[in-house]
Amino acid sequence: MEQEAPSRRNGRLVSVGVLLVIAWTLIGYRLTVVQGARADEFAARGLEQRLQSEILAADRGTIFDRDGRELAVNVEGVTVYANPREITDPESLASLLAPWLARNPTDLAQDLASDAAFVYLARQLDPESAQPIRDAGLTGIHFLSEPRRVYPTGALAAHVVGFVSDGDNAGLEGIELFYEAELAGTPGVLLVERDPQGRVIPQGEYRVEHPEQGSDLVLTIKSEIQYSATQALAAALERTGATSGSVVVLDPESGEILAMVNLPSFDPNDRSGAPVDALRNRAVTDVFEPGSTQKLVTIAGALESGIVAPNTSFEIPPRIEILDTVFRDVTVHPDRLTVTEIVAHSSNLGTILVGDLLGIRRLYTYMYSFGQGRPSGLDFPGEAGGVLRPPEDWCITTCLAGTSIGYHVSVTPLQMAMVYAVVANDGMWVQPHLVKEIVDGEGNRQAILPLARRVISVETAAQMRIMLEAVVLRGTGSAAAVPGYRVGGKTGTTEKYLPDIQEYSKEEVVASFIGMAPIGDPQIVIAVVLDSPQEYASGGRGAAPVFAEVMLAALHHVGVIPGG
Amino acid sequence: MASRVLAMPINRAVVREAHRRARSHSRAIGFLLVPVGLLLVVGLGSILSASSVLGLRETGDGLFYFKRQIAWLGLGLASLILAATIPLRWWRKMAFPLFVATVGLLLAVLLVGVRSNGAQRWLQIGPITIQPSEIAKLTTILFLATIVSRRENSMNRIRDFFWPVAGSVGIVAFLVILQPDLGTTLLVAAGAFAVLFASAAPFPYIIGSALLGGSAALLAALVSPYRWARVTAFLDLQSDPLGSSYQAVQSLVALGTGGLWGVGLGASRARWSFLPNAHTDFVFSILGEESGLAGSLTVVFLFVLLTVAGTVIAHRAADRFGRLLAIGITTWIATQAIVNIGGVTGVLPITGVPLPFVSFGGTALVMSMIGVGVLVSIARDQPNIAVTAR
Repeated sequence: MEQEAPSRRNGRLVSVGVLLVIAWTLIGYRLTVVQGARADEFAARGLEQRLQSEILAADRGTIFDRDGRELAVNVEGVTVYANPREITDPESLASLLAPWLARNPTDLAQDLASDAAFVYLARQLDPESAQPIRDAGLTGIHFLSEPRRVYPTGALAAHVVGFVSDGDNAGLEGIELFYEAELAGTPGVLLVERDPQGRVIPQGEYRVEHPEQGSDLVLTIKSEIQYSATQALAAALERTGATSGSVVVLDPESGEILAMVNLPSFDPNDRSGAPVDALRNRAVTDVFEPGSTQKLVTIAGALESGIVAPNTSFEIPPRIEILDTVFRDVTVHPDRLTVTEIVAHSSNLGTILVGDLLGIRRLYTYMYSFGQGRPSGLDFPGEAGGVLRPPEDWCITTCLAGTSIGYHVSVTPLQMAMVYAVVANDGMWVQPHLVKEIVDGEGNRQAILPLARRVISVETAAQMRIMLEAVVLRGTGSAAAVPGYRVGGKTGTTEKYLPDIQEYSKEEVVASFIGMAPIGDPQIVIAVVLDSPQEYASGGRGAAPVFAEVMLAALHHVGVIPGG
Repeated sequence: MASRVLAMPINRAVVREAHRRARSHSRAIGFLLVPVGLLLVVGLGSILSASSVLGLRETGDGLFYFKRQIAWLGLGLASLILAATIPLRWWRKMAFPLFVATVGLLLAVLLVGVRSNGAQRWLQIGPITIQPSEIAKLTTILFLATIVSRRENSMNRIRDFFWPVAGSVGIVAFLVILQPDLGTTLLVAAGAFAVLFASAAPFPYIIGSALLGGSAALLAALVSPYRWARVTAFLDLQSDPLGSSYQAVQSLVALGTGGLWGVGLGASRARWSFLPNAHTDFVFSILGEESGLAGSLTVVFLFVLLTVAGTVIAHRAADRFGRLLAIGITTWIATQAIVNIGGVTGVLPITGVPLPFVSFGGTALVMSMIGVGVLVSIARDQPNIAVTAR
């Protein structure tokens, strides 16, 4: 008995130990499963809850004028954000921060109390105003470097350059929008492991894909001409009481836009309060009926077709009646006029006679060929194509006559400038463009090569230039004369078509002047369009002086010596 | 002369036997103390890593918890040495007063204890807090071993079995479960079960009381929705990964992240506020994440060594009291480690018990080390050679 009992008890004792070791074996097996067989599954789950990706903004490209002046640049901006999970007392923090951030303390406190690890408090502050917040060393308040887009020349080239969205600097208008892909670059990514409070885990995974800087753009704009045009146009609006106006200055040989000005304008650095109307680049987006300036297309078409010669003379009737419509001339002139004189005196009736010889189909073809009724393909968003109906839609009554003298067709100021550029450039149409070069992050320069096509012959173009000079020398455009240079151009005064009532206004006109200089070998083409001038309400008296002023400045800045 | 000649071989055999026993006992003590020492070192390292982020955030000192644990470790070492040098018979004499004192402390906890996380488990004494339920594990096993060793062979009647068990384990389990601390109750019961199982007490009574205790524990879990959620959460970790099974899921994530070889010492991600109680109940997850399967299996192996050494000491104990006490302490420590790691690896419910020698926590550390000291005392308690000479 005494021998039996201990051995039985020993057996029980040992079985306790054995049970425990078996339990340990199961634990060991479980560990092998968790850390071996299924380790990847659990590890992936962990990585998923820790790994966060952050976008690293790419430096947006700078926009320069053709001489390297900065039109749009990035300046250092400090974005202040909060990690509300680190903040214990949102109210008192909000009242401390509110004045520095210029924000309402109640809204701010709401942001600071939100259930997120990241809340923007203020974006792109200038570094000086963010400094006191940095110095305060507040828990839960963090800073990001977020560059801000600044336009050093303000309103000067606002319509051309456009602007970007606040915060993420995405192009919204103008060149900023059209060349978004080039300017924006490629954002980088930062992959970093964070704890539930949003703090970076130092030993965690850390991968950076660096952002690729956006390309710089060199515009065709010449700031001095842009400035002169702005001044001249502003003065003209003042003088004439016009509601708005546009000036386009371009180099007919290269298609480069040297200046593109619209008034009213806006300051892209502070768009708040600018009316929506002021944001439009009217020279490209707004259309008008060109009126007399359109006569160049009719006459050039007739010359090119060989129907008339510059000295072909016409007997001009006192008026032409087609059904209820009566066409008259507004200028006093002899009863017989040569084609040159028709242009010089801006004779509606003479042009209608020439247009009648040309016919609907040929007139249409020349208009289309000069670039009317379709966008020019300018590198600018939202360019309007104007209205040019196909010939089968033209009425058989007044349409040919009206269109010959610039009605029933609508164009943008740019399209009209391009018509004259063809004449200036010996009959070649060269696609207008605003960007001269794209310079990528490595400094590789890519020049823009414009398309070109022939519209009329060199001879026709030369004949037309002589007629246009006559307009300034002896005709309606005398106010466009530029001392020291031979200038040619054409006036236009159109009764404004009111789409609301589908009638032509009796009071409101669009006054325009489009011309070129020096007439021997034109370097500059300028179109001036004034909308609804109250005084000097004609192309010759309202727009031509603006043309003269801008042309003088342009010739000077481009370096054309007086004479030719 | 002849008798001397005759006596010599006997004496030599006795001496040789005594030396063999002494060597084997010192080997058992070595197999016990080496794993304990290594676990303590591993524990310090893991606490340093697991608590640095928390310490830095809460107190500005990344070493805050580490320093405190060092202090407790000093106290623990002194206690271990003291417990080992106290002769075993003194332990037997102290069993009843210690048990009464423990019951007193447990009552004090219920009356004036510190409440935290929905449980009242701590007593605040000056600058330190102690957890009497940790003390109860050792003193209850000690007291039970004392009674059972005395009347081992007269426990054949249910009355004689019931009262000693109810009067020791029963009281303590009742007081601890009121805190509530189901995990500790379970460990006291496991230790007691081992003491009874290794004794001559009738098998059916032991199983019966185990079933009774088990159903009581299940009932206790059922009446508390929070505890029941934990039990069911472990059965399906995907059901509520952000709620009741959050800790268990995060623990598995940490262990899985560690993989075979670990992410490196001090490189744990889970300690960055993903895993609550990273330096206490879930220190093993951090350890497993940083040192991988290699490290976690090494720790398991150290516990196996400790378990075997404890069982061997119990097996070789000179008397019934020593063997029952040794198997009780061994079962308590081993079960506590199994319950902890089982919870951390998602095969057992999370009961909030610390990993012995590794987790942060003063009372638990000191009491585990006293337990080891008592095991050493049992191993050293060899009968006089003269008595054993048969």
